[in-house]
Amino acid sequence: MQLFHLKHVPWLLSQLIYHAQARLGLEGINILAPSEPYFCIGYHQDLLQEVDVAFCQEHGIPIFRREVGGGAVYLDGNQLFYQLILHKDNPLAQGDKATLYQRFLQPVADAYGDLGVPARYRPINDIVTAEGRKISGNGAATIGDCLVLVGNLIADFDYETMSRVLRVPDEKYRDKVFKSMRENLTTLRRETGHLPAWDEMAFPLIRRFEQVLGPLDTAELPQVVYEQVEILKPQFLSEEWLYKKGRQRPGREVKIASGVNVVQRLHKAPGGLLRATMETDENRLHSVSLSGDFFCYPEDAISQLEAALEGATLEQVQGIVADFYARGGVETPGVTAEDWLRVLLG
Amino acid sequence: MTTIGKYEFPDELYYDTEHGWARVEGNLVTVGMTQFAQDLAGEIVYVEMPRVGRQVARGEPFMSMESGKWVGRVKSPVSGKLVEANGELEWESTTVNQDPYGAGWLAKIEIAGPEAVEGLLKANSPGFAAFIAEQRSKYNK
Repeated sequence: MQLFHLKHVPWLLSQLIYHAQARLGLEGINILAPSEPYFCIGYHQDLLQEVDVAFCQEHGIPIFRREVGGGAVYLDGNQLFYQLILHKDNPLAQGDKATLYQRFLQPVADAYGDLGVPARYRPINDIVTAEGRKISGNGAATIGDCLVLVGNLIADFDYETMSRVLRVPDEKYRDKVFKSMRENLTTLRRETGHLPAWDEMAFPLIRRFEQVLGPLDTAELPQVVYEQVEILKPQFLSEEWLYKKGRQRPGREVKIASGVNVVQRLHKAPGGLLRATMETDENRLHSVSLSGDFFCYPEDAISQLEAALEGATLEQVQGIVADFYARGGVETPGVTAEDWLRVLLG
Repeated sequence: MTTIGKYEFPDELYYDTEHGWARVEGNLVTVGMTQFAQDLAGEIVYVEMPRVGRQVARGEPFMSMESGKWVGRVKSPVSGKLVEANGELEWESTTVNQDPYGAGWLAKIEIAGPEAVEGLLKANSPGFAAFIAEQRSKYNK
């Protein structure tokens, strides 16, 4: 198989090259990074729901919609991308999605190990450190007759810009996203105290991929790919494509890592609007913040409910809310336990 | 009903070799993905609704869905005019997993005539059995 070791390329090429290769049915693996930062949303996402477009425009941050799944992410030159394009008839492309993710993410996990950060593949498409922190983002698609798998080695990550570019309902929510990302997503720099040079990352990764893909022959990217890129540019840069209607979610949910989300839900109860902002970690709630325009007596009772919900499993929530009212002395006119369950559990 | 391994294939439907099914009622064909296909995909988290009114062609992708950050294209088993999409799936995408031949249908396509299903397979035919056997081996299912 051919290896296109392109290093830093203009940001738009860092996405369009693999879209072009897949359309052409040209197999290979790309190792590259964008020269400029940009924001990238998943194929089925809704741009206006996910991204603060005005902020991006003011700060000259380009936005791209890829044909690969997953969520919105801030990408820059401190992330080394791998992009694998396999024809669907290639024996390596045989298997269900879980099998394919495991086949191609294990070498990435092993490369992290070579770089001094023991990491493991975690189904279905995550690579995590020994402490369980996400350290690589991955996605896949079937484009034309090819299977495409893309992902990254994260040398460093700009948490601040990432959390600033996401569209959020309020600053409290943004702060939760930032803190949750810092807690659940890590980088080579944070794990080793050292920002690795390009070759330091690229060569272990290439070696590890060779163990799965067979010998990789370094090659120049064929001219036909650049020509296909030019053909694709108008479509991928069009407003129609970028603003394509995507997945609508009630409230707001930002996925931080597998199983970890920052969620805000709204519910209109007869007594007023209820708003719950929280982090959900697998089956547990954390940092629950309850607000809205309802009346509560005594006023500080809601903070007691918030405290009681800290670390609660989803199964425990109903009992905690029931206890909150059963204790007596709390009045929330027009807001019942059932209303709280709507915003807490969805 | 034809059962192959743990997979069921209703006998009244037609099948293509992209794991799609087609239910023919006059000139209206309801299409969906088979139980085998949804098993390969895993939990489907989003189904993108195709535009109603457009022409679709057999074997060509006409809509997409996502599972585990994987975007897959769905190919139409018949050519014709797309007259309805299952809007419920936009909100309850896992219905495709739970009821692939019923509430998890994907779209309805108006065909020009019965020739639109020529070449498609029936579940109880030797050709279909051979195809599924080959696919089960390929995907280790």
